[in-house]
Amino acid sequence: MVDQNKMRDKAREVLEGDDVRRLIGWKRGTYGFEAAPSVLKDASEVDRLIWDPTCVGNLAGFLTLEEKRPVPRGSEPDTRKVAVMVKGCDSRAVVQQLVEKAYDRDKVVVLGIPCTGVIDRRKAEAMFGEQSEPVEVSEKGDKLVVNIGGESKEVDKKDILADKCLRCRFPNPVVSDFMLGEEVPVAGTDEFADVAEFEKMTPEEKWKFWEEQYSKCIRCYSCRNVCPMCYCVECVATKLRPQWTRRSTDISENTAYHIQRAWHLSGRCIECGECQRVCPVDIPIMTLNRRMTRDVKEMFDYEPGLDVEAEPLLSCFNPQDPEDYIM
Amino acid sequence: MNDSRPKIGVYVCHCGINIGSVVDVPAVIEYVKTLPGVEIAREYTYMCSDPGQNLVKDDIRNEGLNRVIVASCSPRMHEPTFRKTLKEAGLNPYFLEMANIREQDSWVHEDHAAATKKAKQLVEAAVAKASVLEALEEKEVDVIPSCLVIGAGIAGIQSALDIADAGYKVYVVEKTPSVGGHMSQLDKTFPTLDCSACILTPKMVDVANHPNIELMTYSQVEEVTGFVGNFKAKIRKRARYVDFDKCTGCGICAENCRLAGKIPSEFDENIGKRGAVYLPFPQAVPAKYTIDPERCLQLSKGKCGKEGPACAEACTAGAINFEQEDEIVEIDCGTIIVATGYDVFDASRKPEYGWTGNDNIITGLEFERLVSASGPTGGKPLLGRDKKGEGGYLPKKVAFIHCVGSRDESVGNEYCSRVCCMYLAKQAHLIRDKLPEAEITVFYMDVRAFGKGFEEFYDRVRREGVQYVRGNPSEIYKKSPDPEDHTVVVKVEDTLTATPMDYECDLVVLGVGLEPRKDVREIIDLFKLSQSTDGFFLEAHPKLRPVDTASDGIFLAGCCQGPKDIPDTVAQAKGAASSALILIASGRVKVEAQVSFVTSSECRGCGFCVEVCPFGAIELVDENRMGNIVQVALVNEALCKGCGSCAAACLSGAIQPRSFKDEQILPQIAVLGVRT
Amino acid sequence: MSEEFEPNIVAFLCNWCSYAGADLAGTSRMHYLPNIKIIRVMCSGRVNPLFLVNALQQGADGVLISGCHPGDCHYLEGNFFARRRFMLAKKLLEQIGVDPGRVNMSWVSASEGAKFKDVIDETVAKAKAAGPMEQFRRRQINW
Repeated sequence: MVDQNKMRDKAREVLEGDDVRRLIGWKRGTYGFEAAPSVLKDASEVDRLIWDPTCVGNLAGFLTLEEKRPVPRGSEPDTRKVAVMVKGCDSRAVVQQLVEKAYDRDKVVVLGIPCTGVIDRRKAEAMFGEQSEPVEVSEKGDKLVVNIGGESKEVDKKDILADKCLRCRFPNPVVSDFMLGEEVPVAGTDEFADVAEFEKMTPEEKWKFWEEQYSKCIRCYSCRNVCPMCYCVECVATKLRPQWTRRSTDISENTAYHIQRAWHLSGRCIECGECQRVCPVDIPIMTLNRRMTRDVKEMFDYEPGLDVEAEPLLSCFNPQDPEDYIM
Repeated sequence: MNDSRPKIGVYVCHCGINIGSVVDVPAVIEYVKTLPGVEIAREYTYMCSDPGQNLVKDDIRNEGLNRVIVASCSPRMHEPTFRKTLKEAGLNPYFLEMANIREQDSWVHEDHAAATKKAKQLVEAAVAKASVLEALEEKEVDVIPSCLVIGAGIAGIQSALDIADAGYKVYVVEKTPSVGGHMSQLDKTFPTLDCSACILTPKMVDVANHPNIELMTYSQVEEVTGFVGNFKAKIRKRARYVDFDKCTGCGICAENCRLAGKIPSEFDENIGKRGAVYLPFPQAVPAKYTIDPERCLQLSKGKCGKEGPACAEACTAGAINFEQEDEIVEIDCGTIIVATGYDVFDASRKPEYGWTGNDNIITGLEFERLVSASGPTGGKPLLGRDKKGEGGYLPKKVAFIHCVGSRDESVGNEYCSRVCCMYLAKQAHLIRDKLPEAEITVFYMDVRAFGKGFEEFYDRVRREGVQYVRGNPSEIYKKSPDPEDHTVVVKVEDTLTATPMDYECDLVVLGVGLEPRKDVREIIDLFKLSQSTDGFFLEAHPKLRPVDTASDGIFLAGCCQGPKDIPDTVAQAKGAASSALILIASGRVKVEAQVSFVTSSECRGCGFCVEVCPFGAIELVDENRMGNIVQVALVNEALCKGCGSCAAACLSGAIQPRSFKDEQILPQIAVLGVRT
Repeated sequence: MSEEFEPNIVAFLCNWCSYAGADLAGTSRMHYLPNIKIIRVMCSGRVNPLFLVNALQQGADGVLISGCHPGDCHYLEGNFFARRRFMLAKKLLEQIGVDPGRVNMSWVSASEGAKFKDVIDETVAKAKAAGPMEQFRRRQINW
């Protein structure tokens, strides 16, 4: 359990140190079942921070998306640290970013939160409808208490939590400078049952599935923008010289874009599921990434985002790597 | 030519009838003329001939062509030819693109219509790529006129002498206190029975005295950076605890050492003994004593005897200095020759041969020390001496075993060590020489007497009454626990007569093979060398480049590249010296033009390319992006070979190999992917 | 007019081994089907799996990467990376529903002209069995 006051006290303490320039946490959203990210500059702002099952966002994405503005002449860049609050899944993004040298370890202060699961907005909306006011959610054993329009409703966790939470193996952050609560037991195991289920389809059935899904894609690039592992200075998806995918949203370009992104994430995706959460047309993006995660584990015994000393999957090789399909 | 619009000239070769009889060349020409950017399209019988090349040159000069396509044979055949053609006409040679319509079209397809259609597509793809080709500079770097030779066995010594005699500076670094390597441990060498030390010591002395050679013994290379022509090495000169300049080599320190005769001597393969202060062998070069810091009482325990160290007391030159420290030296050199030699197979890995604990089951190298005049037994093959080195017996029956640790999958060495058949024949001969009455049997799998004088020597040995029995022993063991009974049993089957036997003898010599050095990993990490499957260093090409490595400027000599005997080692050492001299004498070296480069504004500094590069050619450096310091990749063009592995690893496409960039490959895919 | 479907294969061959092997097949006058179009790269490690996706988009019915045998790469390690990338890319395309017969890789050394011919024959046969690649092919609009 995370004591909200202790959490805010710690945030205040971190912000009061003069070596931290920003703290990223969650605040109450403006509507519905999801909290909003909040970037704090000053210790006086910590009261807006919350922690509850609406804190779905992976804040690690901000660590790399932060724009480096041109430094005015005569002044030095502000190289103070950035503090960030992370759940278990989010912390894997931090580890993977460190593996890829996105920033130095001593430039970030990780406030780890042992997590007991977050809400899947789509499931909540299916149950309670879309809400124009922010909804307060709290935990009560293995149920969640959802406060809508003054009324409290209880829901079983397994009916409303995100799928990723039901099979979560890393509820406790794998990297942290401070832990904001007691460690929680690992609730789930992951046998990749969802991947096995999808695999049963024939190639034709699989393509029919994706053709339908990718026809919806409007190439808003929300999936790319929210992904903590997508932080290239120049993204091949939108590069013009050379142009890999055209701007048109036809099935050919959409499919190529999604394959491109899934390829770039192989061995790097830490399964936070943000891409799928933010897709405005409900494409099940994780279906592709989950297959790669399983195959990477099976073929190369590799899981990204757990060991800061690990080498990136495709920067190394094993002379005994499988070569079953090679003539 | 300021017009940057591609003006492409396409030349389709008939190659006599090789292409012309299958591909409808005129039809290809007609099609090519419709392609964007193509100004000229010509056909000719033999494009590689002088008139063919002149067609190209004239068009470049007169029509202002700035891209040239030659559709003909494989670029692996004539790319250099046509690059020269362009250069002679004043056009950058990298504006050439070839379409392979012979080896990969006219020669392999029977359907003429299909072959023509394919030729059209291949040329169109070449045109698409040519439009985005760029001019490339063939850069050259200076070569520092010196060489660093690592290892001073016969290979290192020979290379060093050749380069020094040519008039260039050589640094020789040797790990042990003396030069000479394994060859100095040998008694006589096959097939001439030259005394090894006699032919080696003059060269050892030359190396030490040569004005162009700086010899550093008891030293190790710790770090090497740089690239061909411009290497920097950090060398640790270990402390001998003996002042090099004061020591006269008189040996009085060793006589007085409290541990004299108590420490197994590495040079004598642990059969002979030395003291804590020692000279590895009497002819050691340099003839300066060394103190073993791990065994010396003063250095390891802080105290030697009641009156202090006896060596310091005895030395009249005052050369003993227990305060001496390692010295780090940094040198610059243009080329490097790795001549680190071999280790013999550790016979304890074949426990069934009973080497451990039995002093009359010995390895070939131990045998060399036993029969060597300067060895612990003064050249007599005496076994079973007591701790004081007295007593002992001469064997009456001697067995030699081939292929111990070679051609043996069970110990991980599938290869043949090349020298054992001959050295065992030589050793059999030496026993016959010293013990005329002894019964000598050689147990072999094959006899490989391939070299000059080898077969004749083998015949001679057999005529001297040495029995050759074809069989690989399964077990060798001491017959009885009685210390007075020296009998050893060799359990073997004579396969030519299908007779199993328990051969009893009192000396067994195991023909141990040659293996890569135990510390081979350190050397690999220093130079980014590769290993062949047998563990020895990998040469650039097994047939045509046996002394080169994949790293330009670094050469191999001697057994570190693979087992070989002394004549082959010397030949290879001379070859390595010659290769190094080519670089040193010309003073300049060309580096690959089609190398990778980074568009740093697109780079996110993740280091994937740095990790992937097989040549360590990329590093992360600081870059100032509008006031913020970020890390981006940077390619060292002298090290880059243009393989492009970096480009496939880069998620942004920020690093690209010139002439094979994404924007040069994608247009080819766009053309060739279309089903016609 | 129903003609038998002839697949179009785009192949990426490494300069030192596979391209040389293909040349050897040519010098030895070994005949194989003309469905294959070769793009030369210096090393199989150069091949970005997205090239394969791009080829399928452009209309190729099958793709092939061919390099030196593991351990023999002219650039020491490129083919080890190529191997890892290919194995993963094949899984990815399978997940999308691309017929596995379209995506191929082989090890062909400079002396293996005969093997090259066999590789081509097998690749063409597999692509033929998979049929014309329609799934996410770019459609050219004739205005």
